[in-house]
Amino acid sequence: MNPPMPSMIARRGFLGRLSTGLGGIALAMLGSPARTDPAPPQFRPRAKRIIQLFMNGGASQCDLFDYKPALIARHGQRFDPGNGQRVEASISTPGAVMRSPFEWAQHGQCGRWVSSALPHLARHVDDMAFLMAMQSSSNVHGPAAYLQTTGFLLPGFPCAGAWVSYALGSLSDDVPAFVVLPDARGLPYNGRSAFTSGFLPANHQGTVVHGGSPRPITHLEPPPDATHITPASRCEGLDLLRELNAEHANAHPGDSQLTARLQSYELAARLQLAAPGLLDVDSESPTTRRAYGLDQPQTADFGRRCLLARRMAERGVRFIQVWSGHGGAAGNWDNHTDIPTELGAAARSMDQPAAALLADLKQRGLLEDTLLVWTTEFGRMPFSQGSTGRDHNGGTFVSWLAGAGIRPGTAHGQSDEWSWKTASGATTTYDFHATLLHLLGLDHEQVTFRHSGIDRRLTDVHGQVIREVLS
Amino acid sequence: MHSTSPPPASDGPVVHRAQESVDPPGENPAGLMNRPSIRGAAWVAACLVLGTLAATRLPATEGDAFFREQVEPLLARHCYPCHSHDAGKMKSGLTLDSRRGWATGGDRGPAIVPSDVDGSRLIRAVRHTDPELRMPKERLSDAEVAILEDWVRRGAPDPRAPLRERKEEVGWALQPLVAPRIPAGTPHPIDAFLQEKLTQQGLAPAATADRRTLIRRLSYDLTGLPPTPEEADAFAADPDPHTYDRLVDRLLASPRHGEHWARHWLDAVHYADTHGNDHDYARPNAWPYRDYVIQAFNEDLPYPRFVQQQIAGDVLFPDDPRAVTALGFLAAGPWDETLMVGVREDTVDHRMAQVLDRDDMVTTVMSTFQSQTVHCARCHNHKFDPISQRDYYALQAVFAGVDRADRPFDDDPATYQRRRDLLARRKAIERRSPELLASLTTPEVLDQVARAEEREARRNELWSALDVVSVTSASGADTAFVRQADGSWLVSGARPERDTFIITARTSERDVRALRLEALPDPSLPGGGPGRYDPAGNFHLTEFRASAQPSTGEGIAAQRIEFSRATATHGDGGDVVANAIDGRPDTYWSIHPRYGEPHEAVFEFKDPIDHPGGTTFVLRLEHEGKPAHQLGRFRLSCGTGRLPPHDRPPLPSETRALLRTPPSQRSPADTQQIALNLLRTEVDEALRALPAPRQVYAVTQDFPAQGSFKPASTPRPIHLLIRGDVNRPGEAVGPAALDCLPDLSGTLDLRGGSVEEESVRRAALARWLTDPRNMLTWRSIVNRVWYWHFGRGLSDTPNDFGLMGSPPTHPELLDWLAVWFRDDARGSLKALHRLIVTSEAYRRSSDSSAEVLEADPENRLLARSHRRRLSAEQLRDSLLQASGRLDLTLGGPAVVQFIAHGKATFMPDGGAPPLMDYENFPPAARENQRRAVYRFQFRTVPDPLLDALGAPDGGSLTPVRSVSTTAVQAFALLNNPFVIHECGCIADRAGDVRQAFRLLLLREPSPRELERLTIYSQRHGLANTVQLLINSNEFMHLE
Repeated sequence: MNPPMPSMIARRGFLGRLSTGLGGIALAMLGSPARTDPAPPQFRPRAKRIIQLFMNGGASQCDLFDYKPALIARHGQRFDPGNGQRVEASISTPGAVMRSPFEWAQHGQCGRWVSSALPHLARHVDDMAFLMAMQSSSNVHGPAAYLQTTGFLLPGFPCAGAWVSYALGSLSDDVPAFVVLPDARGLPYNGRSAFTSGFLPANHQGTVVHGGSPRPITHLEPPPDATHITPASRCEGLDLLRELNAEHANAHPGDSQLTARLQSYELAARLQLAAPGLLDVDSESPTTRRAYGLDQPQTADFGRRCLLARRMAERGVRFIQVWSGHGGAAGNWDNHTDIPTELGAAARSMDQPAAALLADLKQRGLLEDTLLVWTTEFGRMPFSQGSTGRDHNGGTFVSWLAGAGIRPGTAHGQSDEWSWKTASGATTTYDFHATLLHLLGLDHEQVTFRHSGIDRRLTDVHGQVIREVLS
Repeated sequence: MHSTSPPPASDGPVVHRAQESVDPPGENPAGLMNRPSIRGAAWVAACLVLGTLAATRLPATEGDAFFREQVEPLLARHCYPCHSHDAGKMKSGLTLDSRRGWATGGDRGPAIVPSDVDGSRLIRAVRHTDPELRMPKERLSDAEVAILEDWVRRGAPDPRAPLRERKEEVGWALQPLVAPRIPAGTPHPIDAFLQEKLTQQGLAPAATADRRTLIRRLSYDLTGLPPTPEEADAFAADPDPHTYDRLVDRLLASPRHGEHWARHWLDAVHYADTHGNDHDYARPNAWPYRDYVIQAFNEDLPYPRFVQQQIAGDVLFPDDPRAVTALGFLAAGPWDETLMVGVREDTVDHRMAQVLDRDDMVTTVMSTFQSQTVHCARCHNHKFDPISQRDYYALQAVFAGVDRADRPFDDDPATYQRRRDLLARRKAIERRSPELLASLTTPEVLDQVARAEEREARRNELWSALDVVSVTSASGADTAFVRQADGSWLVSGARPERDTFIITARTSERDVRALRLEALPDPSLPGGGPGRYDPAGNFHLTEFRASAQPSTGEGIAAQRIEFSRATATHGDGGDVVANAIDGRPDTYWSIHPRYGEPHEAVFEFKDPIDHPGGTTFVLRLEHEGKPAHQLGRFRLSCGTGRLPPHDRPPLPSETRALLRTPPSQRSPADTQQIALNLLRTEVDEALRALPAPRQVYAVTQDFPAQGSFKPASTPRPIHLLIRGDVNRPGEAVGPAALDCLPDLSGTLDLRGGSVEEESVRRAALARWLTDPRNMLTWRSIVNRVWYWHFGRGLSDTPNDFGLMGSPPTHPELLDWLAVWFRDDARGSLKALHRLIVTSEAYRRSSDSSAEVLEADPENRLLARSHRRRLSAEQLRDSLLQASGRLDLTLGGPAVVQFIAHGKATFMPDGGAPPLMDYENFPPAARENQRRAVYRFQFRTVPDPLLDALGAPDGGSLTPVRSVSTTAVQAFALLNNPFVIHECGCIADRAGDVRQAFRLLLLREPSPRELERLTIYSQRHGLANTVQLLINSNEFMHLE
């Protein structure tokens, strides 16, 4: 909201007063909000940046990480959790207990169970901390995805990346603080509102980068048919514009708004200069490109975007969100019809690139201060939908974290014997977000913004840091 | 912030409510009577009730003293930090600073049960014996615990005043609205109030802005468009001192005014043309509401009526068809299609979605018209404002009978009236209204039943059997068709997956108007037929086609018959017989679940067929949908001009079934039901005969059920939800409004209507909102309008006048405006605009002395004007105006300014994500030339140009736009294809640098500006020069 009211500024507490000096405004004007006066965190940040891999559609925990012998033993039987508990599926009639079509094995020193759907990630379980009992209060894509991205079930709230941008800004003047890499086939559920800054200032919105597209960032370049626009016309034009704007600002002194616009053009120019380096995966070695799966059709898109994420992490982007799967009924993790083929394909497109990213970050020492998280909006049912599909299940699902501040090889929480609901160590989205902010050195109760009568936060009025997975 | 002691009685507008008041009568002195006259009566009533109460009340007891001395200090020290309004915290929803606080309790239920020590949670908590419930963290001493136990044992006497009676609880906006005296010395009232503060601060206001600045500012402000250079020249040169007033009148009278101010309003009510959320389906009938707002502003609809129509226009303005379109207000926000339609009804998700759907309506109404954050009280009592959770759910109850759906309306008042009567009758039929049922026993009605009976008995005589020449199976399967004695054909033998029966049949009748297909039961068929699907006996007729040629005319080509309509005895849900003539193979006619009964379908022709020597038909009965769903026994006949149109459609199955019982054996209830069925058929026919209505996406109680989304025939029961949790319903709550206004009770006046009528509830709330005593309404709108004129409000939080909102900089001015607007201007928004823009304050220059800048950097005292950046729409529309391409067509369907991959719903494959390509949409397209307010506004995939410049996406209420300056804006203004295209057009139109400069900046360039721009233009062309100018601060800002 603008203009910021004094009370709001005070409420930002540890973030300090919004800089009203000209330099501060220029830098706070996003796309690229580096802060000259980085907010003094309340405690030592463990992570400088976050890379989030988001499995759009509801990745099936009981086919990937949550091994349940009961599903194998009672495959095909009526699903009866006992005690007269009501079984509720969101769009279908509950079917029979269904074992995973994938094989299970234990991996690593920690002995974590991973299914054969994820052979590459299975090799890295000793670097990961698993949240085995995540919970969602919605079983429906729209609200559940909002909950996971913004902490609220309804549209209109800022997403986690926007909050991080608002609280910390970028690590560099040349890149945006918050970048989103959607699936090449389309936007996730809720479209661009999945990356929205909501009621936070617009400059905290996610900058969308379409990895493989010839025009990866909207408005970064003029359209190809605008041939009258040349590097020289732009360069001289921007010089003249600066002159005219400076003269105008001098004639109307004391208005920081005018100066801010002047500087926004300089910032744009810097971003434009930095963009090729940010986006150039061709400069990566053939070995690296192969490791991320850029040479295979099924992994090329997600692999390219994982590789871009690493390049962005290196260049100072604070929050990078990489989506696997787009919205709609297919081409994602929403596998209602056929787990073996649909989930198999989704897993194959993600597994090798994600594993490569983890290994690459580690090898380059970036994992020291980078938090890598793997999330989805909810899990899936231990019983069948139709013959071999699974319906949505907010009762329990799995996320994992790796890198900065994380105790590797651990797991927190457990689902029940079915992988139907959580049994212990239930973790909410609020807890999850609180932990992310904590690792960035932020107290989730202190990062607030006054909107419509309420000091809003990412974690609403909930949230506990999950100390069990912290090192 | 709050005091825990009762306020001094002589102070301020304290409302004592009889039912809550526990104050000693001594605190009700005569001094309270000297209040504004309206309130006098209420006070007498309150005093009387208090007197009555006092008679049964004990004097201050020993218990009260015990509480004050021993208990209250303990609570204050150990509990208030987390459970009191003073601390602004109510952990677990619990407050302990009032009796109501502990009696209502928090998430876990009441904290104290008087006299029940072990049953009181507060005692359990302080004992620290329950591992789940230990409060506070540090255990109280045994002596302290004993005091609390003792207190509860004594019945928990608590003499503290209810919170609502504390003066401090009532913020500025809830104080009575009384027009303050206008300070002397300045003719314009607005300037008088502002000048008073400036004088106090010793600040001199800035000079009046120059004429060119003024006309540009005023034009953009009132119409969203700049003046032309010629208009600016003329205005600058006009010596007439009244020229400004004339300009104001001209701009307010322009249709562009409504378009621009509608955009402000649509922001505030989160309007868009899609549902939002994961699928974000199109909402193709949202725009009539947008047009309603434009028209309301252009016609200067008085504000109270504007408010009433948007809440209950259908009820309060039944003779105005347009009032229905106003209901788009309540439906303007996002709607979760998946949760409301797709997800099973019995799930928590679906039930919660209904709560949140109403939450959006309550939030929209109370934020927009009352500037109150009532939505904060969904999970607990409002933490800061005197709004209880009960108030909140009472408001939900107002909207408990409606849903968002397309709602028909008629532009033509006569049609509108007729349809309204018919719909009312149909509703009475569906509800089996007692009056209607009683009316069905009259002789006329019984006579009607008898006539229907007779017609039904003679029905077969009225239809002439076709002479079937051949029946074959198009699939070539070995299917047998055997003619039966009654002229029907029974199907047996092979039953392929899909099949079409091809029938050649003749008639000697002239003037043939319709064909009749009877689907008949037969014991040989599965389930008794009439279909062959095993086991049910169903069939799916995907298409019925017919062609005709003269029986005598060898060599004359058969002519395809076009049908005007199809009717049948029964159609299952959406699987009506009209599906068999829609040309689509994926829709069909089904008689499920009425198996084993005779059915018929009648297909009426657009044009009669008349061949003197008889007609030969070739009929195709297509079963091309689900496998094995073919007809089992059928008969064909034709109807002629002798058969009057209203006798052609068959009676519905239910009616026919009832008529099969002989009259002598029929119960009165049966006869009544027959009459009712006949009436329904008649009403349905009459409705069908009306011209098709238009549709507006609005709230309604009448819409076709779809999946889990079903209309409520009466308002749904509303319960207070503990912690906002749908699984923890508390008490049932009926409809009411806010209970915290000093002069207006929250009890809704239903004007004698039944509370079971949802429309009665909305109408009552609409009247409550527009009651002259509702001071929030008037304060809210004048502040909102002020904000949109100045870019800042008197209060900077137009949707929050509560304690957490921003208090007004000039409370007296706000109140004066509110009263003036209500009483003198009679709710005329144009009068308010005129008053504001003719003030000196509005006309000041945005530049001012260093002294003013330093003393008031935020410009709260308005010694100067706020410099404002053009809004996204102002920019877009300005480019079109400058290029001469602006299309000023008023109103109509939303204009799609992107390439939509997929069908009209923008949903390819019925499920892939919406793909909206803005970048490749041809910039020159005609659709691009309309004003931005008419664009199709996609919630989850906004237009990148408008998005960059701060246009809201409709995800949440946007009373105030964010105007942050970003690099993304610079990119958009430099590289957006539409911007670049328009710059080219402007260059073409202007022809040279000087003209382009005048066109955009409305002034002559200085010699130095002209020189530099000309050099640049010579090197890089005029289009680049134009783009440079539109990127300039001078163009992008309103001085």
